[in-house]
Amino acid sequence: MKKIILISLAILFCAPPVFAKKTIANKIFNAKSYMLNNGLQVIVVENHRAPVITHMIWYRVGAADEPYGQSGIAHFLEHLMFKGQKHPILGDLKSGEFSKIVRSLGGNDNAFTSQDYTAYFQSISKDEIERVMKMEAGRMRGMSIPLEEFNSEKKVIGEERRQRTDNDPRAQMSEQMREALFPNHPYAIPIIGWMHEIEGLTYQGVMNFYNKYYAPNNAILVVSGDVKASQVYEIAKRTYGIIKRADTPKRERIKSPPFIAKTSITLEHPTIKEAVFRRTYRVASARQNKQESIALEVLEDIIGGGSTSRLYKSLVVEQKIATNIAVSYNSAAWNDATLSIAATPASKEQITDVKNAIDAELRKLINDGVSDQELSQSITRMQSDAIYARDSLTGPAMIIGYSLITGSSLDDIEYWAQDIQGVTKEQIREVASKYLNPDAPYITPPVEGFLLPEIKPEIKGGDK
Amino acid sequence: MRFIFICLITILILPSNVLAEKFLDIQEVTSKSGVKAWLVEDSSIPVIAMKFSFRGMGSKTDSIAKQGLARLVSNTMDEGAGELKSQEFQQILRNQSITLHFNASRDNFGGTLKTLTRNKDEAFKLLKLALANPRFDEEPLNRMRASNKSRIKSSLSNPKWIAARLQNDIIFSGHPYSLNSGGTLSSLDNITQADLREFHSKLGKNQLVIGVSGDITTDELKAVLDDVFGDMPIVETKESESFALQNAGRSYLYKQDIPQSIIKISQKGISRQDDDYYAAQIMNFILGESGFGSRLMEEIREKRGLTYGIYSYFHEYEQTNALHVSTSTVNDKVPEMLALINDEWDKMLAKPVSEKELKDAKSYLIGSMPLSLTSTGAIASILLSLQLDELAIDYLDLRKNKLDKVTIKQVQEAAKRVLDKDSFTTILVGNPKGFENAEIITKLPNVE
Repeated sequence: MKKIILISLAILFCAPPVFAKKTIANKIFNAKSYMLNNGLQVIVVENHRAPVITHMIWYRVGAADEPYGQSGIAHFLEHLMFKGQKHPILGDLKSGEFSKIVRSLGGNDNAFTSQDYTAYFQSISKDEIERVMKMEAGRMRGMSIPLEEFNSEKKVIGEERRQRTDNDPRAQMSEQMREALFPNHPYAIPIIGWMHEIEGLTYQGVMNFYNKYYAPNNAILVVSGDVKASQVYEIAKRTYGIIKRADTPKRERIKSPPFIAKTSITLEHPTIKEAVFRRTYRVASARQNKQESIALEVLEDIIGGGSTSRLYKSLVVEQKIATNIAVSYNSAAWNDATLSIAATPASKEQITDVKNAIDAELRKLINDGVSDQELSQSITRMQSDAIYARDSLTGPAMIIGYSLITGSSLDDIEYWAQDIQGVTKEQIREVASKYLNPDAPYITPPVEGFLLPEIKPEIKGGDK
Repeated sequence: MRFIFICLITILILPSNVLAEKFLDIQEVTSKSGVKAWLVEDSSIPVIAMKFSFRGMGSKTDSIAKQGLARLVSNTMDEGAGELKSQEFQQILRNQSITLHFNASRDNFGGTLKTLTRNKDEAFKLLKLALANPRFDEEPLNRMRASNKSRIKSSLSNPKWIAARLQNDIIFSGHPYSLNSGGTLSSLDNITQADLREFHSKLGKNQLVIGVSGDITTDELKAVLDDVFGDMPIVETKESESFALQNAGRSYLYKQDIPQSIIKISQKGISRQDDDYYAAQIMNFILGESGFGSRLMEEIREKRGLTYGIYSYFHEYEQTNALHVSTSTVNDKVPEMLALINDEWDKMLAKPVSEKELKDAKSYLIGSMPLSLTSTGAIASILLSLQLDELAIDYLDLRKNKLDKVTIKQVQEAAKRVLDKDSFTTILVGNPKGFENAEIITKLPNVE
């Protein structure tokens, strides 16, 4: 729905692809890349399994680019992009018509917003590729919406926020943890926006944001599926190609100050019956430090990848102090990426034991490193994931889109398998020591969250 | 995937509405010992996916005291088999990037295997071992029990989960479908190793339904079917009787202090084998299944901004069928929301759908079919569900033609047969205003 707020998708596709025979530089997707005169990059991944395509446009603008005090504007704009457009050559569409046409052609469409990007996509019969490219190009600079649509969509977004966040104490705690993790940095602001700021957004404010950022030279087009790359390029020239370049701002993000104290957040909530411990670190993104980010991906797999990984084995299988534990690292970010650990203690009294046991595992990792066997098994596994990544229509377009739009190169994606092959035990120890060391001063302190059942006498479960 | 085109001459002599290509080249494969599977061969990516079900062996076989048993079996069957203990078994799966797990729906007990071609021998070996000789050791059993109890307690802060729990309990009242398929905090403690073994002993090859897709030939598959499933026992099966939804016309409220209320509505549905199914499917697509463009979404989200999403959808079970509506809105708008849903039922019954609505619905339902064929696992899932629903091997081809022939009049007749707002069972979770008539639920059934 208009709207998957992201992050979770990125995690889903997190293990970019590939595989490798040591000597031959196999590309994962074999994508073709073109550049239009107006600065739009066009990427095509051919995949002829079924007569369908996925067409995605990625804009290099997200929630972290919003004017201060107007949170939620990037996401609001994403909703409004379905509310009507006008273009002398590419055609006009009324409110809601975009999705209805896609549907009537047998396709699905949607969009999503993250901190760093906003993306729109359609999956549809290969015969309709020109039609959807024309419509998508038409709203790149031609969005045109009646004021009443703006007002009614504001209510929809209020419902979306209630559904995702305000109805859910876990999401509320996550929001607050993120706020604490990125002091003075726009990543602190929730993608959907704070409710009071959503309410204050104006029609003109959203239009200004749109006009400032939506342009061919600030976007990447990715098409995957049953189509020839050269054909996509030709259609792109006669659709997107007629849109003029615009003077989009250079991205400059304000920085967090060097805080030294660790932040811990506790939420005791009446509907919570099962405690949760979470800790989130700021770590290198792929754009900031490719080598570190690849080492972090291997580290994530070794400590957190499934039921035989270090943390699960130690805390859940052996010590039995937790019933579940998961680690997630998402390297696709313009600024700092995050690495999160989330664990469910076996009882709420054991939440401190869980935290201490995680620290003990991290110390072990930093002091003793990983074994040769752990490393080689992890590398093989991740390279296998690369093969599975090709077993999808939309997956490759997603991986390429979020990687490129957050500053990685096409070669970074295509040769990921070789790069993974080169990760050493020492590199893993170094990133662990640099970012996750419980005993050394942190570069940026992580934030811990304790979600707990309410301790004061309850009025009664669901009946108050 | 192969799309077979028959020659042009043949196309010319066929009526134009007969689609001249096979939508999906499905083969029925029967092994020497008589195990059957549907297969779509595709060597474009070195991946094989297999999905299978033991029909009738789902959570509906659970007793009240031991509800959650089928689920717990599914959680522990991949936690050690033969000589391999839990961690050893899982380590091999992980190192070879093999996905092997089991699942229990209300009707069926099933499994999924996905492997790279190069690891297929190990993959099928482990599957065979898990099916024939699962260990059900105390350690993984207790770990899975704890994990399920933890999941239940975590779900208690999720109003959507609460609404779904109530919905199942109420509309299936008196039937095993009403039980908590994930178990309750107390029932999970009642389940022993002996229960798991007894459940496992009731799985037989005569209940099996299998779908396979990917990089494997028919001959290879025949050998695999014999090797993996051939030695399984033949077990007793019983016919399942059909069952009508309960508590029609009643409304229930579970109060929770949240800003937005969750709304779930259920009424009777229609069987996939029913002659009117295609017309009903088109009707429901127009009504609320299609998301953007559906009448419910247009009236309630697009025009009034009352919700982030509203959908209506058919759910077919082995023993009954339902039509559900699912949505949410800020507490004080719940009465308006419910009235609008009622209005859409009235409108659909009072007036035929338009030519354009019919055309767009057909176009989507037919045109979007290839979108479900874009991964090896998705194709195997389709092959499994066609067989579980007892549909013909050429169903996907027939479906195009049958959908294409549906008329406006048939859509309206299907609406009259299916839609019945007086039989709505309505579940609300939240703090809505103005529901003095609703039955207030203070304690969630089958949770503790």
